Amino acid sequence: MARLSPSGSARLFSPEGLRTARLMMYLLMCVALMAMDYRGHYVPRIRSAIEAAFEPLYHLVGLPSRAVKTVTEYSRSYQQLLDENRNLSEVILQQSGSIQQLRALQEENLRLRALLEATSGRHFEFRFAEMVQVNLDPFSHKVIIDRGSRDGVFPGQAVLDGTGVMGQVADVHFGLSTVLLISDPDHALPVQIARTGLRTVAYGTGETATLLLPNVPQQADVRLDDLLVTSGLGDRFPPGFPVARVTTVDRDAGETFSVVRARPLAALDRGREVLLVIQRDADATGPKENMPGNNEPGQAAEDSQEATE
Amino acid sequence: MSPRRERRSTLVLVLVVAVLLTLLPLPGQLEALRPYWVGLVLIYWALELREMVSLGLAFLIGVLLDVLTASLMGLNALSLVVLIYLVQRFRARLRFFPPWQQALAVLGLLVNDQIIRLWVTSLLGEPLPTWRYWLSPLVGMALWPWLFLLLDRVRAGRRRASS
Repeated sequence: MARLSPSGSARLFSPEGLRTARLMMYLLMCVALMAMDYRGHYVPRIRSAIEAAFEPLYHLVGLPSRAVKTVTEYSRSYQQLLDENRNLSEVILQQSGSIQQLRALQEENLRLRALLEATSGRHFEFRFAEMVQVNLDPFSHKVIIDRGSRDGVFPGQAVLDGTGVMGQVADVHFGLSTVLLISDPDHALPVQIARTGLRTVAYGTGETATLLLPNVPQQADVRLDDLLVTSGLGDRFPPGFPVARVTTVDRDAGETFSVVRARPLAALDRGREVLLVIQRDADATGPKENMPGNNEPGQAAEDSQEATE
Repeated sequence: MSPRRERRSTLVLVLVVAVLLTLLPLPGQLEALRPYWVGLVLIYWALELREMVSLGLAFLIGVLLDVLTASLMGLNALSLVVLIYLVQRFRARLRFFPPWQQALAVLGLLVNDQIIRLWVTSLLGEPLPTWRYWLSPLVGMALWPWLFLLLDRVRAGRRRASS
């Protein structure tokens, strides 16, 4: 009887002890995995491979909500459609007016840049993508979109929605990509205050309604409701896109920096449609693109994809 | 088909359904009510067919779930390994509980699981969740007797179909 045996080794190899030993082993493996995923670089690759293998599952899960959407679209009344159509035409008219103005400004900008012999800047194209309606861990601050490597998506690509910056592409598969939201505690976004041009960094806090700007100098001119836009530093996000509005400014006399909080403009937790940003040099003639994230290891693969476009 | 292979295919099938139910998007407030489907299914299998659900299997399924729900790698694995260990440890007692008492035990297991998750995510600097976070174990408890009967039926049905 192992249980009656006084020696420790016999108890260790009893079924009970064996089970505890195995529990310990698996717990260690879990903790190691978590630590590696949090700080290391090997786990994302494993994750990416498994995700790619199970891609069809995501499409399958997305089906019901797509079906619901189709049904509700079909069942809308004629009057509702007419109203919506009229509203949309109005919006288009307004926006095309402002776009004409913008185009004139852009031309002027290019001419001035030429006079200064500066680089001719960049212009942006947008590609429409839709979120795949899949329930992910709310702590992960990720969403999945229905564009992948076959559409030329690359890691680090900026993702916007109609109102502001949402995040950046974290992982690319064949027909899907995962997007890391700006609310992730590990995400840092170079921004500037539109009114004053003050440059700083906005960190995610884990809450979708709050970004944190911990290193704004005490005497800096920051007011409530100031608009934060991307500064373009770091070469990942294009400059000038709206990010958030300042909600609180805490100035503690004893500290070097005041703590500023801001509310993201993009609908991080409830959006559906997103835009992927493609940056090009304005004077580039060929299809050669100046991609952000040129230092990404996957650059060679991206180049080959662009060549096939 | 051998009975053993048949039982394994049943487990795989039920697990796939559980994973799909986990990933299925729910409108707004219902999200918090989603029970821990994979956990419940594995508790059932560990109770009824001990030899099929090992800690290793729980670990593998957990890692898979981590990837699919994009959570921290190892979080679901940790949760399932602890869950299955506890079920194995108290299996003899749990099996002979009347259904309502078993449901209470399941509630205990699921609350313990939520505490483990909370501990890990708070180590990562995430803010504390709202009280809705604790609704999911209650839903799991309410579902447990029905799920138990349903899975019994599924297994019996598959056995008859294969013989």
